[in-house]
Amino acid sequence: MSEQTPIIELRHVDKHFGELHVLKDVSLSVGKGEVVVVIGPSGSGKSTLCRAINRLETIDSGEIIIEGQPLPEEGRELAAMRAELGMVFQSFNLFAHMSILQNVTIGPTEVLGLPKAEAEERAMELLERVGVASQAHKVPAQLSGGQQQRVAIARSLAMRPKAMLFDEPTSALDPEMINEVLDVMVDLARRGMTMIVVTHEMNFARRVADRVVFMADGAIVEEGAPDEFFDHPTTQRARDFLDSIKGH
Amino acid sequence: MSAQATSGAVSIRDALYETPGPKTRVKIRIGTAVSAVAVAMLLAFVVHQFWATGQLDPRYWMFFTQMSTWSYLFAGLRGTLAVALTAGAIALVLGLALMLGRTSGIRPLAALCRVVTDFFRGVPSLLLIYFFFLVVPQYGIKMSSFWMITLPVALAASGVLAEVFRAGVNAVPRGQTEAALALGMRPFRVKLKIVLPQAIRYVIPSLISQLVVVVKDTTVAYVVSYPDMLQNARVLITNYDALVSTYLVVAVIYILLNYAINQLSVYVARRSGTRVVSRYSTNPA
Repeated sequence: MSEQTPIIELRHVDKHFGELHVLKDVSLSVGKGEVVVVIGPSGSGKSTLCRAINRLETIDSGEIIIEGQPLPEEGRELAAMRAELGMVFQSFNLFAHMSILQNVTIGPTEVLGLPKAEAEERAMELLERVGVASQAHKVPAQLSGGQQQRVAIARSLAMRPKAMLFDEPTSALDPEMINEVLDVMVDLARRGMTMIVVTHEMNFARRVADRVVFMADGAIVEEGAPDEFFDHPTTQRARDFLDSIKGH
Repeated sequence: MSAQATSGAVSIRDALYETPGPKTRVKIRIGTAVSAVAVAMLLAFVVHQFWATGQLDPRYWMFFTQMSTWSYLFAGLRGTLAVALTAGAIALVLGLALMLGRTSGIRPLAALCRVVTDFFRGVPSLLLIYFFFLVVPQYGIKMSSFWMITLPVALAASGVLAEVFRAGVNAVPRGQTEAALALGMRPFRVKLKIVLPQAIRYVIPSLISQLVVVVKDTTVAYVVSYPDMLQNARVLITNYDALVSTYLVVAVIYILLNYAINQLSVYVARRSGTRVVSRYSTNPA
């Protein structure tokens, strides 16, 4: 949409897991401040797409371009690029042996070389913002899933990333905890964060997304503005999917 | 098994066996009674044989009332402990290094560490001791008997410890590594700061249990004439012509020592396990 260089761009990305063709000629461009929600049935390749963007999954062919630069394949350059992309996982993945505060400071101190005091100040600000500052000195196992995921978001934000990747951030949560995480994400979107969100939360998609991308069988089948997509899907595949998740 | 200690809510026993019903309880009671009688009979037989063969004769036991006997045995125990602790410490460092090499992802280094690990794990420690005792000196390398027993015991244990560490590293969920990589940490730092601290916590009980094996390995010290407890026991046996009684006493000391080590591992497992257990017991506000 914008004339600027997109923050994240995928060009003709292909990937196989053995026989399985998990990403089929996927092209996607995400501009600055844009929120793109990726939906689709399980096994459609949404998570793989999300993880490929910071090379937690390698790709067979195609290009992934971050702010005009091709995604490095290894070493210092790859690490530096990852540092600029926040990632939030389905299973939180907080560092189990560290306190909440340490979880949020380790990125800035290890990777950015921030002094400890400064990193802690930044961490406490973020923990405050996601509403878990009072838990700062506990270990992850002592927190609820919703709290852990909010800490995971704070941990990513502490790196001041250019964009955030969310890989099904609410799929492992008990229903009553989903909203506290979504609220944090809505707030983040309002502040202009560039986001790619893989999710099953259709209400979130409708409310927050600038664009919805529908994937099935490893390919992008349809994409468009949320209202358009949800109310008038153009492909049968998308209609079937929306019907299947509606009918309760 | 020390594994019981790590779980708070569900013990291994509960997980493996269902609660017995009335018929099973009767069977268990009968089984217990029968085996108790069998053990008692065996003990009676042993004591009887001791008595019949004259092993209970005071002349085989009286020298244990002398201080000098005990101080000599305990000097041996000190030797045993010195070898075991030094060997344990070396094995810990070497085992960690071997594991790091093997999981480094650098092909030739990984292959080398794998071969070394499997070699030390597969070769009997006695063979390694003969190597240091008989082969190494031929190349003009002079070693004290302490190192001739300590080094081979350490090498043998390092192979096992490398595998214990590797099991620990493999037990750390993949997501921990991914999250750290996603923050921009380099793979080696991820291993050092995120994976290893957790892996070590998992394997502490196994590491301490391995110390028992090291203690038992030190008993081959007689080969190099290092005065460990068993070597000193042999001297006592020759002096007093009291084989059975001396070995019995020494066996009891070894059992007590290894029991203490096992208790230590249970204690440590409990302490380091509290954080994991709290996942089930404490609910956040």
